[in-house]
Amino acid sequence: MKLFTSKDDLIRWLNSLLRERIIVAPVRVQELTVFQPISKVEEIAFDFGNTTLSPKGWFLPPTETLFSVQNNDGQPKLVPAVIEKDAVIFGLHPCDARGIALMDSPFLQEPGDALYRERRARTALIGLACHQAQPECFCTSMGSAPNDPSHVDILLTEVEAGYIVQVVTEKGERLLPKGFVEYKGALPTPPEPQAIPIKEVIPAIRELFNNPYWERLADRCLHCNICAYVCPTCYCFDVRDYSDRGNLERVRSWDSCQSSGFTRIAGGYDLRPTKGARLRQRFYHKLLYFPEQFQDVACVGCGRCIKACPVNIDIREVMSDLQQLEAKSES
Amino acid sequence: MSLDNPFVPYLATLKSAVRLTPDVKLLRVELEDPDIRASFIYKPGQFALLSAFGEGEAPFGIVSSPQHGDSLEFAVRRIGTVTRGLHELEQGDILGVRGPFGNYFPLEDYVGKNIVIIGGGIGMAPLRPVVNRILEQRDDYGKLLIINGARTPQDLVFAPEFQVWVEAPRTKLELTVDRGDEHWGGRVALVPDVVKEVAPSPDNAIAITCGPPIMIRYTLAALRKLGFKDNQIVTTLEAKMKCGMGKCARCNVGDKYVCQDGPVFTLEQISQFLEQP
Amino acid sequence: MDSELIHQIGNQARDLLESGTVKGVIGYERASDGLTARPFFAYEPAAVERLIFDETCSYNLVKYLLDKKDEKMAVVVKPCDSRTINLLLNEEQIKRDMVFIIGVTCPGVVETSWNHKGQTLQARCQTCQLSKPLVYDFLAEHEPVERLEGELYLDIQEMETRPVTVRRAFWLEQFERCIRCYACRQVCPGCYCPECFAEQLDPLWMGIRIAPKENELWQTIRTFHLAGRCVGCNECERVCPVDIPLSLLNRKLEKEVKELFAFQAGLNPEELPPFATFKKEEKLGFEE
Repeated sequence: MKLFTSKDDLIRWLNSLLRERIIVAPVRVQELTVFQPISKVEEIAFDFGNTTLSPKGWFLPPTETLFSVQNNDGQPKLVPAVIEKDAVIFGLHPCDARGIALMDSPFLQEPGDALYRERRARTALIGLACHQAQPECFCTSMGSAPNDPSHVDILLTEVEAGYIVQVVTEKGERLLPKGFVEYKGALPTPPEPQAIPIKEVIPAIRELFNNPYWERLADRCLHCNICAYVCPTCYCFDVRDYSDRGNLERVRSWDSCQSSGFTRIAGGYDLRPTKGARLRQRFYHKLLYFPEQFQDVACVGCGRCIKACPVNIDIREVMSDLQQLEAKSES
Repeated sequence: MSLDNPFVPYLATLKSAVRLTPDVKLLRVELEDPDIRASFIYKPGQFALLSAFGEGEAPFGIVSSPQHGDSLEFAVRRIGTVTRGLHELEQGDILGVRGPFGNYFPLEDYVGKNIVIIGGGIGMAPLRPVVNRILEQRDDYGKLLIINGARTPQDLVFAPEFQVWVEAPRTKLELTVDRGDEHWGGRVALVPDVVKEVAPSPDNAIAITCGPPIMIRYTLAALRKLGFKDNQIVTTLEAKMKCGMGKCARCNVGDKYVCQDGPVFTLEQISQFLEQP
Repeated sequence: MDSELIHQIGNQARDLLESGTVKGVIGYERASDGLTARPFFAYEPAAVERLIFDETCSYNLVKYLLDKKDEKMAVVVKPCDSRTINLLLNEEQIKRDMVFIIGVTCPGVVETSWNHKGQTLQARCQTCQLSKPLVYDFLAEHEPVERLEGELYLDIQEMETRPVTVRRAFWLEQFERCIRCYACRQVCPGCYCPECFAEQLDPLWMGIRIAPKENELWQTIRTFHLAGRCVGCNECERVCPVDIPLSLLNRKLEKEVKELFAFQAGLNPEELPPFATFKKEEKLGFEE
């Protein structure tokens, strides 16, 4: 179903949604655009390449309490966390929506993550199609597209006088106000991001596990957490207990396979002690292990890691290098 | 899990804590909820995540035999924050249990075979329920050889059970230590060297090993030299874990998740991904 | 791009690799955007042709030496980077005979990020006091560059005129954006503790929570750990993905240490830093 709304009507609609729900939308903060819950619809930034961080932080927050333990006269009582309000994520691009859909696989697989599942059920996604591809974008090579409505409830596409409104799911339909007219025109041609031959390379990278390429590439890697944190599909987390005068919280926070203590156990043994082993893990998890488990490559081609990496480790370049290595070893 | 959130542990009471070695305690815990106790069915090889509330949570192999009573037993070596918290618990204290997780030793596939158990230090813990199961169903299995080593005689974890093991039919127990003491009259040698010395035959045999990484590395080499194929060698891996259920992606060994595809693996499944010696 | 400088750097690098004097040369190459630079490790003489040097080479490469302590390495060093060499020598993290320093007389660098090159020199270049590196084994020379005699701490002084409450509110707002990626720590040559306080459980300083209070603890403690040690390379601010003005924080303490102890890190590998020094004549405060 394709409808049309003017910018003014869109604002009116968002204002009505804001009365009952949390709206998380792109907001300009200094030079950055980030997803944040808004207090006024005017805060929303409509024109941006892509945000610094993906909206995955709504479903897997940087920090959240899994449960707390209250001490009632020495007998501990476990109190799981609860989700308060319904929400809408507004303005996410199709690549990010695909990222959320990919994260569903590990989190909703049995045993399902209750907090993630609850947030997912109570959050609607209103996407915004891209009218321009950035130099770092390659979504079409990763199963997405600048105008892909697959993983949102409603997709907006900006046109001259307002926005085309594609209603994708029932959840989306229930959100709509009355009064949007039908749109009889065609959808505009989407921009064309760079195409890179990732899919062909992937089966071959298993053979390159012990190749010295990884230690060499890791020479310049800082092993910070930037790539994992900006990525829409990275989801590793750490869990720790915090106690304060008898009350305890078990807290989960973002973590990354790049950090040096990630696999180190008490006593000092480390499964991935070298820089190369850790750097390789991120690429292999996203490109090889995740698809073996869930049939989809865990990269949506948003290019955030390329933009944010302080030492320019570029996944497209890595793919191309692996392709060359693979070709060399075959000949 | 409790309240439909798989991160929330079951509450359990510490029934007893027996000191096995200077740094290892055998904790016997009982789940509080009788329904959960009844549905907590596990097999040798599986593990649970124990919470010392306030310190954290870590994975431990379940070392009790499933047939024996409603309690779960864990052999915990004190080495870090969580294990310190578990060691400081007293009888009657509350801890958390999540599980059972992971795969298990496919003992039904080993029926009729000769079993070689090679355990070093605390690595003997996940192998203990395997030994006990074989002894309970002795006629189902061929010869049983147990090679158990530790740093010193005090560090042999299941010493009180050796008598039972030694007296079982068609069963041999070879003990060794890295360093003896004034009372020790037994062998002083590294576990891989004992494997070479005893030289078990690979014919119709399965070797199951667990221990410190360096012991594993040389034991695997020794077994291969004796003619054991990679699909005849089984190990159980230890990994840092936070969720235990395939969500936090921390325990990847190559393309395997230790918490879901393991912790029991054949060497064939993981040799490509182990660090090269 | 100054082809004369590249030529000198390249020749020196090639000689060092061909003679086996060093295991590798740490320099710069062109990044995947075709515009900016990134660190490059040359291990074979043939790889030397990838080395570049231009106004996009703002990275401080010296910290990479800490990952390569077992092998002798060569590193391309700008005048500002040479302060890092002195810091690490002073703190005994590197051995002088394990590094071959290819010094460069730098004309200044611009701000860069992926696919973006600034048009004006960085603020720290505009007030740079060093015409050539303080220490080097070989110097790739260029005509001397005109230095501005600018005030070093104008932006700090401006902050100091604001009341403490305003400053505090400013910083709390900045720290709210922090995602604790630790890129600032990973890139900083002064941050090399095998176990950072941020990772310690016992005692627990701030833990893993990514939240404003913990972020504030993280940023302030790291800044204090660098007091009298920060060499002003500005890498922390460059790498921060959420644009926290870390240079303001670290240079503030640099200014304080300068005023209190007449000391600035990285100028002299022999001079003892204030927080690792005790002099008998120092007042302890409880003699009376």
